Amino acid sequence: MTDLFAPSEASSALSVAEVNRIAKRLIEGELGPVWVHGEVSGLKSYASGHWYFTLKDAEAQIRCVMWKTYNAKVGSVPPDGTQVYCFGTPTVWEEKGEFRLNATKLLLLDQLGQQALELERVRQLLAKEGLFDPARKRPLPPFVQTIAVVTSLDGAALRDVITVARARWPSIRIVAIGTKVQGAEAEADVVAALGRLARLDGIDVCIVGRGGGSKEDLDVFNKESVCRALAALKVPTISAVGHETDISLTDLVADVRAATPSAAAELAVPDRRQWVARTAELSTRLARALGRRGQVARERLFRSADRLQGALQGHLRDRRTTLERVAVQLDALSPLKVLGRGFAVAQGTDGKVLKSVAQLQKEMKFTLRVADGSVDAKVV
Amino acid sequence: MAERKATLQDDLKRLEELVRQLEAQDLDLDQAIALFEEGVTRLRTAREQLGAVEQRVQKVLEQAGGELKLADLDP
Repeated sequence: MTDLFAPSEASSALSVAEVNRIAKRLIEGELGPVWVHGEVSGLKSYASGHWYFTLKDAEAQIRCVMWKTYNAKVGSVPPDGTQVYCFGTPTVWEEKGEFRLNATKLLLLDQLGQQALELERVRQLLAKEGLFDPARKRPLPPFVQTIAVVTSLDGAALRDVITVARARWPSIRIVAIGTKVQGAEAEADVVAALGRLARLDGIDVCIVGRGGGSKEDLDVFNKESVCRALAALKVPTISAVGHETDISLTDLVADVRAATPSAAAELAVPDRRQWVARTAELSTRLARALGRRGQVARERLFRSADRLQGALQGHLRDRRTTLERVAVQLDALSPLKVLGRGFAVAQGTDGKVLKSVAQLQKEMKFTLRVADGSVDAKVV
Repeated sequence: MAERKATLQDDLKRLEELVRQLEAQDLDLDQAIALFEEGVTRLRTAREQLGAVEQRVQKVLEQAGGELKLADLDP
């Protein structure tokens, strides 16, 4: 490499282009992209759409260029004297030998200040009205079939939600309500989209948000009207704006805040695997419970049969004993036994025992029972 | 669609009740079998729902009259 600071000799002279090229390389290599704080002056917007301006402070100034693709995000052309933070790469424009800053971001301090003030105003107002109140938060339904997503139809947020939701529950129904999520029209657009959502039936839960972006890009989710429209929804809401570290006012208003749209889909959509597992578990328990119930019934039946048999046998035994005892008694009392000793019983034709002489008239027929039979008899 | 709503959740909730009752074992066998049969029916519908196929993503369009219409979102 040529040493720029070595004592020079005419013979080692560089071309103009060489000097500029080396200077450019050194400056870019040494400084890299930097934030510069200063005041905008003499901004010119050319037909090409590129901006040329000077940044200055009390002591110095630097020429800046901001290509169309970058300045499109700034919005309006900042007037002379606007205080800005400018992010860019200091470099050398070789053809002109000019030192300048290639600006890629321009934050207007007034705007920043205004934005911060407005954010604070809305935050305080909504807090006072209780819109951030934890008691307002509704739980998300454990099982959903249809989710609504309010976001840009072309954005990464919708794609992420669809991917995650389908992975968790393939038959989930997703209704996308498209809206601009940044720029001047975003506020009215998001409010209108939330209004449409409110008119739809059969939505179980809704996700409102967008993917990551600059603070300005996410600003629509700090707007009072957007917060109010979100708070008015009947279905449970999840706010998912930007990345993990971004917190917007809709995050505070929604029932649940998700760090990212993907995380929102995870919160909103049940995991099919868990439900399959739960179903399988219930299936097993159902079969086992009936099996056990059957076994208990069987055991009880056997026990009952044993007891019944035991009881029956005991009962029979008792009865037999009684029978034998009665038989002995009966035997002892039996008139036949008496007859056996030589007595006889006189019975009328009607079978009545004749016990008195008065019962026996002349010529009356009767039966005389003796031990081994009976004979017909007649009173003479 | 309203009828389809939350049936899986209902089915599993009912199933849990049935299983609990069966596990408590203080019912007679006829009752137990009736509960079991209902459980099998619930299980079948639950499984059908778990196996349902992927659905299209829809987008909401607002027509001139303010009427909302659903259309498939282009993949």
